Formats: sequence, structure tokens, C-alpha cells
Amino acid sequence: MNGPSNQLNFDALVVGGGIAGGEAALNLASTGYKVLLVEKELSIGGKMIMLSKVFPTLDCAACITTPKVSEISRHPNITIFTSSEISSINKIAENNFEATVVRQPRYVVIEDCTACQLCEQACPVSVPDQYQYNLVGRKAAFIPFSIASPKAAAIDIENCVLCGACEKVCPTNCIDFTQEVETFQVNAKTVILATGFKLFDPLMIPRYGFGLYKNVITSMQMERELAPTRPFNTVLRPGDGKVPDKIAYVLCTGSRDATIGNPICSQICCMYSIKQAQLLMGALPMADVTIYYINIRSFGKGFDEFYQQAKGMGVNFVKGKIGKISEQGNGNLTLRYEDINEGIVKEADHDMVILSVGVLPNQDASDFFGQDELQLDPYNFIHQTDVLASPALTSIKGVFVAGTASGPMDIPDSILSAGSASSEAISYLIQE
Amino acid sequence: MEIEKGKTFKYLKEKREVSQQAKDQLKEFNRMKKSILEALKEGELTIIALSEKLNMPEPEVVYYLMSLVKYGFVATGEVDDMDEYFTYKIKQ
Repeated sequence: MNGPSNQLNFDALVVGGGIAGGEAALNLASTGYKVLLVEKELSIGGKMIMLSKVFPTLDCAACITTPKVSEISRHPNITIFTSSEISSINKIAENNFEATVVRQPRYVVIEDCTACQLCEQACPVSVPDQYQYNLVGRKAAFIPFSIASPKAAAIDIENCVLCGACEKVCPTNCIDFTQEVETFQVNAKTVILATGFKLFDPLMIPRYGFGLYKNVITSMQMERELAPTRPFNTVLRPGDGKVPDKIAYVLCTGSRDATIGNPICSQICCMYSIKQAQLLMGALPMADVTIYYINIRSFGKGFDEFYQQAKGMGVNFVKGKIGKISEQGNGNLTLRYEDINEGIVKEADHDMVILSVGVLPNQDASDFFGQDELQLDPYNFIHQTDVLASPALTSIKGVFVAGTASGPMDIPDSILSAGSASSEAISYLIQE
Repeated sequence: MEIEKGKTFKYLKEKREVSQQAKDQLKEFNRMKKSILEALKEGELTIIALSEKLNMPEPEVVYYLMSLVKYGFVATGEVDDMDEYFTYKIKQ
């Protein structure tokens, strides 16, 4: 049952604990405002915290994200709700929003957990690890990933067999199966939406064979294979554990493709594929890496130099559109493609294919609002009412958008966008 | 029901039934774990060799074997002369 402690007051409600939401929350909190940061996952950090390195500097993503996430977690003006989702937000008046937040039970008292992982070792259950994109298993009692924040265990209740093994070994008795779903009524003076994006599901393009051919993987799966906290000891084919030596990238998988309903450019798949190709050449010096592309869009600062660097390292770039991928008996893959420069259909064999998946809108935020309609753009990202002069403004005064919730963008642009949203929110709060 | 700290799973067990899917998953993992560890008792094996020995699809062997590496039951051995396949052995 919910008591008065479930009535909460904040200056700002930030929805989404990825890099944009975290940055916006930090800016507001450092200015003296009290912020509630709501994240649906078990950890803040969003997709960036799962990356290996970032382009075009090849800096370690975790090395950038971890201090930021730590700062957010420790900031006295920021309250973080993980495993939590917004069920509604109503604008009562200017500087007066009422939100309902639902928090799912973690079955672990975060403050008491020392992240000793004894519960993980004791848990007999093994299920696919969503944080390793199902390449390997994890326990039902688990710490989401090594740099998770909060770094505390959680119980996957859907897969837990309630054997009690985790509780028996827990030295601090922090596991608590009596926890229940909690509902909070939150009053906030402003709202920032940083709900991020969704990755395209390549199952929607059956001719690429994803799901059917085990050596066709997504770029996020390769990202995990390249990360220091990778699922395997090195880069391996999930089909048979072979070290691949002829790797292909298929760019624009699920972007710039009206046939699957996403005609826009992901803005990131060229550059992250070029990044991964460079990392692969470091990890597997004997490997051949080929990138099949429609156009290389290296538009940002240092991006073209990064592209030229990949060419210089020996990455093979083929201007070609993939028609079909088929599997040979040994798990190798044949790519049938149109060579755009020569205008003919060709075939090439590779032993692993990475689908560089595109960016889709996360439409969750449009369901939050009742009487005040949050407008979406033609591609279902949050509509920016003044995209040139005030890009953080939405169709609801006092509600601002940060990061990829407004459209595809890379990490530096997401952080800039978060700065814009927090500045607009502060201006709105000052007008109170 | 009186709730005893350190034994709160009993409280949820009273209220919630464990799904058949969760029970089946546990059974399958234990079966695979037993088979893989049994096969590796005789010496280091590659995934291809394990797959043949256990008569199991290679992708399944990769998934379960790598999970056992993660959980500390299995260690990675040497890569072959062609730099293609690693061997795997029981962790001592």
C-alpha cells in the first residue's frame, strides 16, 4: 500500500537515464534544482555505457561514461529511480506537472548490497543475458553489468525458481522477496524527455538471414564482442566459435529504407561501423573487413579523417546494395549484392556478417501525456517546435526534449542537446 | 505469514507460482552443463569437437560453453595452428 512517502516534489522530472537524460539532470542539479531521474532499466547509462569505444577519437566509452554516471549517482540534488516507468504526466498549470511513476521491485535493497556477487554464484538458473545481447547467459540473481549504476544485484523474478540459494549466501541479507510494485505521485515544475531511441530489429528483413544464420549478428552484438567486458575471450563467430577472418558490414540495415517504414538516415551507422572495422583490425590483425555501403556520411568533426584512416588501415569499402545473404554448409555466408559503381550483380563470401542497424523512434513519451498532446514529427520522434532557434522546445510549454528522443544523433550531439534542454528548463523555472 | 529475514523467498513462494518455462530452463541448463563438463573431463576440446561428441548443434554449444566460462566452470585453452578454433578445458 502506498503512503504519504509516495508523494514526491521535485523541481524537474527527467525521463530517461541515458547519456542525454543524465547530462540534463546533472546540469539542473548543479544549478541547485532538485531532480528526479526516472530510468526503466536496472542501471542508468543508456546505450552508451554498453559501447566498446566511441568515434572518431576511439576513446573507451566506459571511461567516459563511468565518471559521469558516478557523478549523477552521487549528486545530492538527484534522486534516481531505476526499474521505473512513467504511467502518466498531466500539466495542471505552468510550472506544475503531476506524474505517476511506477517502480518495479528489484527484490534487493540497493543500499545494503555490496555487489559481492555471491548470490550470482549461488543462483542455479541461467538465461540469456540481455546486456550481452543474448550471446551468453546470466543468472536470475545478477548484477546487470560490471559498470552498472547502481552496482547492486537484482532478481529476474520471471526466471527465478524461488529456491532461496541467493538469500542463503547473502552476507548482508539485502535480498528481499517481499518487495512489491510501488506507485509514486510526483509533482515537478518542469519535465525533460530523454527517452532515447530503439534499435532496428533485423528480423524485419528476412532476406538478411538474421536469427536463422548464427554468424549474421547485429552491430550491437559486435560492439559487445569488442568491449573489454565481452561475452567471449575474443571476437568469435556465435555459430561455431571460430575466429572470423573475412568479415562484412551491411550498412543502412533498417534505415534509408522506405520498404520497412524507416526512410531516414541513422546518422551513426557509417561511423560506428568504421569504428568497429578499425577495432577489428586491431583485435584480429589478419582479418579482412569489407564495408558494403550506399553512401558514406562522414559529416562531423574529424569524421572524414576517421574514414580515411580506416581506408589507410586496409578496410575494404564496396559501394553496393545487399540483395540477399545465404549460408553455406560451413557457416560461411554468401552476399549477393548490386555493385553500384559497375551496375552489375556480384557475389562475395564472408565468414561473418554484421548488420549495421538503424535508429527507430521510441514512442513511449507520446503515451505519457493526457490532455496536453505531445506532438511527434513525421518519423515519430518528438516534434521540435522551433528546431533552429530553440531545439529543446516541444509542443507542451515546460516540457523539453533531449538527445535522440528528438531524432537520430551521435553522442556529442546528444550531450549538446541535453545542454540545450537543461538551459531551456532552467529559463522556464526562473520565469516561475 | 511471518517473514524471516534471509528467508523471504518463502513469502513469495506462497504468493507466486514458479512458471513452467523457468523450471524447464533450469532443467535444460543443468543438462547441458553436465554434458559439457562430462565431455571435457577427458581433455581439452574445441567447440566443433564438443558438438560432434555431444551430438548437439554448434551454436547451442557456443552459448552454453561460453556461459560456463563466464560462471567459472570452464577455462579457455590454446588456439589451433590455423588461429581459428580455441580449445576449452575444465577450470581447475
